[in-house]
Order: sequence, then C-alpha cells, then structure tokens
Amino acid sequence: MTTSVLQIRDLHLRFPLGRSMADVAMGRPGRVVNALNGVSLDLNRGETLGIVGESGCGKSTLARCIVRLYKPSEGEVRFDGQDIFGADQRADRSYNRRVQMMFQDPYSSLNPRMTTGQILAEALRVHDMRPDPEIPARVSELLELVRLPQDAQHKLPHEFSGGQRQRIAIARALAVEPEVLIADELVSALDVSVQAQVVNLLLELQQELDLTILFVAHDLRLVRHVSNRVAVIYLGRIVEIGDSETLFSNPSHPYSQALLSAAPSLDPDDRGKTTKLEGELPSPLNMPSGCPFHVRCRHASEICKQQVPALLPVEGRGEVACHHVEEINAHA
Amino acid sequence: MEHNTPILEVDGLNTTFHRGGQPLPALRDVSFSVARGEVLGLVGESGSGKSVTLRSIIGLARRYGDVTGEVRWQGQDLVQMPDRALRQIQGREIAMIFQEPMTSLNPLLTVGLQLEETLRAHTDLSQSARRDRAIEMLDLVGIPSAAQRLKDYPHQFSGGMRQRVMIAIALAANPKLLLADEPTTALDVTIQAQILDLILRLAQDMDMGVVLVTHDLGVVAQTCDTVAVMYAGRIVEQGSVRGVLKDPRHPYTVGLMRSVPENLPPRTPLYSVPGVPPSLDALPQGCAFAPRCAACVAACTQDRPPLTVVTEGRQVACLNPITKSQGNAA
Repeated sequence: MTTSVLQIRDLHLRFPLGRSMADVAMGRPGRVVNALNGVSLDLNRGETLGIVGESGCGKSTLARCIVRLYKPSEGEVRFDGQDIFGADQRADRSYNRRVQMMFQDPYSSLNPRMTTGQILAEALRVHDMRPDPEIPARVSELLELVRLPQDAQHKLPHEFSGGQRQRIAIARALAVEPEVLIADELVSALDVSVQAQVVNLLLELQQELDLTILFVAHDLRLVRHVSNRVAVIYLGRIVEIGDSETLFSNPSHPYSQALLSAAPSLDPDDRGKTTKLEGELPSPLNMPSGCPFHVRCRHASEICKQQVPALLPVEGRGEVACHHVEEINAHA
Repeated sequence: MEHNTPILEVDGLNTTFHRGGQPLPALRDVSFSVARGEVLGLVGESGSGKSVTLRSIIGLARRYGDVTGEVRWQGQDLVQMPDRALRQIQGREIAMIFQEPMTSLNPLLTVGLQLEETLRAHTDLSQSARRDRAIEMLDLVGIPSAAQRLKDYPHQFSGGMRQRVMIAIALAANPKLLLADEPTTALDVTIQAQILDLILRLAQDMDMGVVLVTHDLGVVAQTCDTVAVMYAGRIVEQGSVRGVLKDPRHPYTVGLMRSVPENLPPRTPLYSVPGVPPSLDALPQGCAFAPRCAACVAACTQDRPPLTVVTEGRQVACLNPITKSQGNAA
C-alpha cells in the first residue's frame, strides 16, 4: 500500500541576499537565508501528509520547491523515479499537470478579470486535457465536482465569498487530473464553519479521485484531523515525522511538545497547563550551531550546541531529530 | 469570577452603515458591561459585528455610520460626546490595539517616536521622562535591549515584536480599558501564547478591563472571564466562559463549537452549520439564525427572540434554547 510517489532527498535552499556596502568594505561574502537545510521525506500514494511549523520555518518554501517554483540549491525531488529538476524534466509539462498547487490567499490567486469558466477552461487548454468543443461540458463537470452552482462560470472572482473562491482554486487544480495536490494554507483565511465545508470537500475528493495530498497549515487541530502522517519543521529541518495520531497524542521532540502545547485548548479548565516556549524563531540568516532548537530548548546540553542531531526512528514513535529524545520521553 | 462594579456599560448599541442609500444594520441592541480587571471575549464569524462593536465604543464608527444607544464611561455617554472631548478619552482612558501589527505602525517613524507621540498627547511628562517611560514600556512588554530598540523602525521587528510594540503604545498612557481587535490572529501559536499571557498579566497588574475580539474559541477558553457570542450584529449568548463553553445554550454557539476539529475520529467529515450567515441588507424577519437552525420552531421566523436570562449569569437570545442534555447529545 505504501508506495511513495514523491521522494525528497536532502533538500537545501539558500537565498543569497547580495553583498551590502558593509560586506564589501569588510571583505565579507554576502549574507544568505538558509530556508531549507536538508529536508528528506517520502510522500506515499493516497496519503495526506501534514506539514506544521511556525512562520518562516520553511513550510511554504518546501511546497514551492515541490512544484518547481523554487529551484533547490542542493538535493533532489524525484517523482516516478525521475529527478524533477533534471535536464530532460525542465521542458516536461506533464509533471506540472500531475502535481498541482493550491494557494492560501483566495483573493490574489485567481485572476480578477477572468470568469470562473475562463479560469477553468484555461487550465484545460494549457494541458490539452480536452479538445475545444468538449471544454464547456468539462467546466460544468468541474463546478459540480466542487459543489458550485452552474451559473458560477459566468461570474468574476470578486463575486464569490472566500470559501467559494477556494472551491474554484480546487476545481482549477483538479481540472488537469493531478495525482498530487499541494495545499498551502488552503483554508487558513476562512471562518471555522466555512473551513469545515472546504476541508470536507477536499477529503471527499481525495477518496473519489485517489489523490495524494501535502497539507501545509499552521492550524494544528486541522492538520491532526486531515493527516495520516505529519512532519514538524523547525528552521528548515524536519525535527519529527510520524503517524499523525501518535505524534499529536504523544509528541517526542521538545519543539513538537512546545508547539502542540501552545495551541489554545477549548477547555477553560486547561488554563495554565501549557508549557510556554520562550523566545522566537531564530533568523535563518544566523543559523544556530548544532541543533537548530537548542537556543530555546530547556533540555539542551553541550552536544546540542555542536552537533546537528540526525532524524532517527524511535521505538513506538516516528522519526525524531533530538540528541536527548530517550531521556526526555522517559521522564514524561 | 467576582468583579467589582462595571467601568464600561454598553446599552442598546445600534450601528447602521449605508450603502447605495440602503441602510445596513451592522449592530443591533448590543448590551454588555466590563469591570476593572475583567477580560470579556467577543466571538463570532467574519461580519458578525465584533470589530464594529469595538469601533462604535471608541467613536471610530460614527464617522462612517449612525451610532445610537448608550456607552456609559465614567458617568458620561461616549455616543453623545463631541469629537473634541472624545479625543481626550481615546488612547488615554480607552486604548485600542488592531489586528495588523504590520499596517498599524507608521513605517517611516522609529518606534521610539511613535511611543513618545502617544505620551506627548496623553501625559504631562517632560521629554526626558517620556523617553524613560518609553524604555520602561518596551521593557514591560518583553522587548530585549529596549533602550537601543527605540531607534529602530517597525520593519526591523518581527511580527510578534511589532504586536508587542503596539501593546506598549496602547498601554503607555495607563488606560483603564483596552479594546483588542484580534491581536494575535496574524501570529504563530507559540507567539500568540506569549502575547495573550502578556495582555492578561498587564490587565491584572494595571487593574484594566479588556474587551478581546477573536474568532478562536480556544483563545476565549484560555484568556477570557466572560464571553459574548455575536451573530449577524447581535449578541446571541453571553455569560461566564466556563458556563458558555461547557454548556452552550444557543444553537449557534453549539454549532460554532462543533465545527472546531477536536475530539473527532480522524479524517471524518467536520461539522459545519448548514447555509451561510445572512447578508445585512436581507436579514430575515424573526431570529437571524432561524434559516440555519435545527431547533427552529414556527415562532422563530416571526418574532425576534430577546436576550433573556436562562440561568444565573447567562443570557441567551433563543426561543427554543438547547438544554444541557441536548447539547451533549448533539
């Protein structure tokens, strides 16, 4: 059952900032933002893999690398055994068709001057999905698929609510019959009740169309609910990855523990029970040495300052990148 | 939670905007009170009137619409108060923080200048005393090396730090009431926890009342003493946080709580209240929630239910409220 469709290996992405006058005067090289620092993961066919972490941790950068919006500095992404950044793959549009991305902001990700019908038809034409005469019928089908009324095709994006726009974004992604959907904060901008409707739609379509989903979001409750597996990212590195229920009910990495505990519980009696994380995410311009989390970690020791811990399987849990994972969880 | 006499009493607040000659009833008959040291949560979905309530209290809404009713503050009615007098209260006695720390700071001025600006407007402090106070405030909200950071511009701060600066500016003049409009919505959960902690601690230390607008019921559960749930411009349920969240009586509150994905088998359909909130220019006769309500009875489409006391300290605007056992079964 677990065949991986997408293999990501040791992905690094550095954004050079260019040398400032001060750098030139001091003879220093320009500064570099280390957005991804060696991310490896497999996306299995038919699963939903959730990606969580604070803003700036590299969640969206990872999603954008997967759809080739960014080219990684090092490492590879393989799809069907082929490196998607390899020479022969660059010209190949079939990858773009098979792996589709949906974005967070329902107000800027749709062309305001195109009707829904035109937006969907464009996707069909670009990828030669249907001969021209069959396009209108397919557009109707797609609207039905995402539960939008047929008259939606003559309307412009501004005539829709946020939830309806995200349905259009889903229809546009599904128009080209993809195998993998990358959802980057797809429902973050929506109210809870609308969020629930869009998430339900996504889960239904996943069953119906046998889709694999990478679900990037900062809402931990939602990620827990939709995902089979979850990866926790900190400063461009995966610190923990594993089965969603196990990870959420029993997080192993001190960062996962702090992150999950910070999500406010609905029970007023839980007040004051959270472990507060001190400080903020360090800047990816000045990466801490060793374990990226050691500056905020109450378990940090000398080794954490020097060596980057490897992501290793832990008995009865997922894979965890922490030097002290055994002791920390033995106490717990 | 025991509190002394209210410092703010909102009584029958109505706010109406106009679009194309048509009246839009954004707020109807909103009444609540806040005591010193009390944190009141206002929850609801987009467009329910949470932000308009804050803006109507502090006099920002009257420039764009008609505000009627009473907002009693220190023996005066803020709704009737002339602009000039109101400005003595805005920022001095009642402060407000907004959702967007990115857009509510002036990008061209240092944060020190923006802090001192507030102090110059609202206090009699000398220039050097203002500077000391500015450093003290940045320190209070947990910004490291406060004295150096006074010279920094907003873009040199992270999102969480900018929101701390906003809080420092809001609290600089020692207000008695803080109106906070989704102060942590743009922030990460870890930073959200820090900022909410900060607001709570300062509210206690300064014996200040807080009205916290949020759409996150988790934030309400962990931060507020009392809560008012809003729907289509009206308060539909209010009471203590523990009471409302553990034993919601209004069908909308129940629906809102059920749509939060918690304690559900993974990957099962999430609950969502059927339908969408009504448009303000086409509010149904009777209860605004009736068309979406499972507990709707014939009278609901005729008469608008008033906010009435159902149990000690709890008010619900519903003709057919949920009882405890039903709430748990649903």
